[in-house]
Amino acid sequence: MREISPRSPVAIVLIIVVVAYAGLLFIAPLVAILQGAFADGLEPVLAVFTDPRVQHAFQVTLILSLIATAINAVFGLIAAWVLVRGKFRGKKLFDALVDIPFVFSPVIAGYALIVLFGRDGWLAPPIFSIVFALPGILLAKVFVSVPFVIREVQPVLDALTPEQEEAAYTIGATRFTTFRRVILPEIWTALLYGIVLTFARAIGEFGAVSVVSGNIEGYTETATSFVFRALNDRNDVGGYSVSVVLCLISLVILVLMSFLRGRIVRRGN
Amino acid sequence: MSIKLEQLHKSYGSDPIVRNVSLEVNTGELFVLLGASGSGKSTLLRLIAGLITPDSGRVFLNDRDVTYLPTQKRGTGFVFQNYSLFRHMTVGENIGFGLSIRRVGQSERTDRVNELLQLIGLAGYGDRFPAQLSGGQQQRVALARALAYQPNVLLLDEPFGALDVKIRAQLRQSLRDIQQKLGVTAILVTHDQEEAFDIADRIGVIERGELLEVGTPSDLYQRPQNLFTATFLGTANLLTGRRNGSTVYVGDARLPAPPHTDHLRGQPVQLVCRPEELTLFTSRENAEGEVIGGGVVDSISFAGHLIRVNVLLQGQGDSPRILQALLTPSDARDLALHDGQQVWVSVRDYHLLPQTEIPSGAVSS
Repeated sequence: MREISPRSPVAIVLIIVVVAYAGLLFIAPLVAILQGAFADGLEPVLAVFTDPRVQHAFQVTLILSLIATAINAVFGLIAAWVLVRGKFRGKKLFDALVDIPFVFSPVIAGYALIVLFGRDGWLAPPIFSIVFALPGILLAKVFVSVPFVIREVQPVLDALTPEQEEAAYTIGATRFTTFRRVILPEIWTALLYGIVLTFARAIGEFGAVSVVSGNIEGYTETATSFVFRALNDRNDVGGYSVSVVLCLISLVILVLMSFLRGRIVRRGN
Repeated sequence: MSIKLEQLHKSYGSDPIVRNVSLEVNTGELFVLLGASGSGKSTLLRLIAGLITPDSGRVFLNDRDVTYLPTQKRGTGFVFQNYSLFRHMTVGENIGFGLSIRRVGQSERTDRVNELLQLIGLAGYGDRFPAQLSGGQQQRVALARALAYQPNVLLLDEPFGALDVKIRAQLRQSLRDIQQKLGVTAILVTHDQEEAFDIADRIGVIERGELLEVGTPSDLYQRPQNLFTATFLGTANLLTGRRNGSTVYVGDARLPAPPHTDHLRGQPVQLVCRPEELTLFTSRENAEGEVIGGGVVDSISFAGHLIRVNVLLQGQGDSPRILQALLTPSDARDLALHDGQQVWVSVRDYHLLPQTEIPSGAVSS
């Protein structure tokens, strides 16, 4: 870390601006939410979490986010591998398309899912419904969080020379053993980092999920949709309380991320 | 016969990289494949290891046809130029990797790893990570890793290419010692002829995918059968002439034909002699040995422990030729050489090749 010294007045002003900006943007909302939740003491907060609809909303959010994360971890790993080691026509195009969920508005993504999987949609499933049901939420969560694992793993895989794999092959390791004992340990940290980001995005997603799920209370309502509804219903304690829990999850993720990033940086040196 | 290659051929697209190479390497031999970059030498090595499949031809390891066997089943030890150690494994784990794949028990594995660490002179380094070692040490570990599971053959692809000169010389000597001690058959690929001369039992010269010539270092240097070899290995003075009867006519000079050149009788020939086989004299009367003509000193330069003198040879017909001579500093002092001085050139050892279209004079790679 290099410091600008001697500290000029401009530097001091810049530091103040940045700290104030960050405080306003990150810290103030947290404080406001905490304050709002506990404005009337602990009891109303506890009441919110004993509400079966709230519990269900959390259940839906957590379980579907975990499944979406698992799907994207596996798919992301394979996609990263294909993008680094594969040779095929249209690879550059595919590489560019991976970022679509980053640039698409989630609402449009949700709408597209309805068009595709809704009643009379091109891919409407005959047996169970996807739209306005749990599978739709899963699809939405998967869609919006696709790029993270790919984009984290890809550069690390790219930096691995093919000689490491070739060395393992000459020594007698099968492809699977080579992956497990030579490649996976190298990309492990990046993969975890990608997984954490994926999970964070899946949990927090509102737009696409809200469009595709229909926000049916006690069925397809997720934690974020609950907060949105609480806002409309002027159910302040409910909205604040669920937000606090979501914030806590985010904080845990944040700590995890900074820990993992530390590991990546240490390895880089 | 540990390694036998039959008419191996490999092309990428329409470019042949390895052209119908046949080769036999004896058990316990250290064979060096010598060639410039892009000559196909590394590809040949990869074909033997099974990292590449040939278009045609066969590969035998210990008399077993392994042409279509996957790399994993060939049991070769491969050492790469950039070490390619597994960075997340300790030195000990790297060396023991092949053993753990072969399900060798923990205690036996530890013993073997320690034995190998001893062998490569890195005893006690087992718990370090590759990043904590120097390049030379890493390459030693890579060697131990390739030797740990007692491979059929050891294949080394420019193993010292990434190291500095001093370490390189040390390391190749210890490689030679280890290879001799274990009696493992090895093929080493390099572009460095000094390295090849230093450690090879035999050298194969490869150029544009073709194995041009195979022989011991001294054979290849003193009696190359091929003009490329003659000029690729060290500097060669080339003079055109004709062999009639048992005499070689070069310009105005007549030299006795060297032995084993009867097949060139009555043909235009290329006389090949090494710079260190030339002697310079200040007068025709003093000149000893086989005098090939007079000339003037064109340039004198310092070449480490020797003095390099370029002589512009006269009386060689239309095109004057520059010959290169290497003299000891004391010889050079005795002659009191200076640019433009008239000298006589005689030659001690020389060699004949059939004549082809090539430049003459002092040629080196």
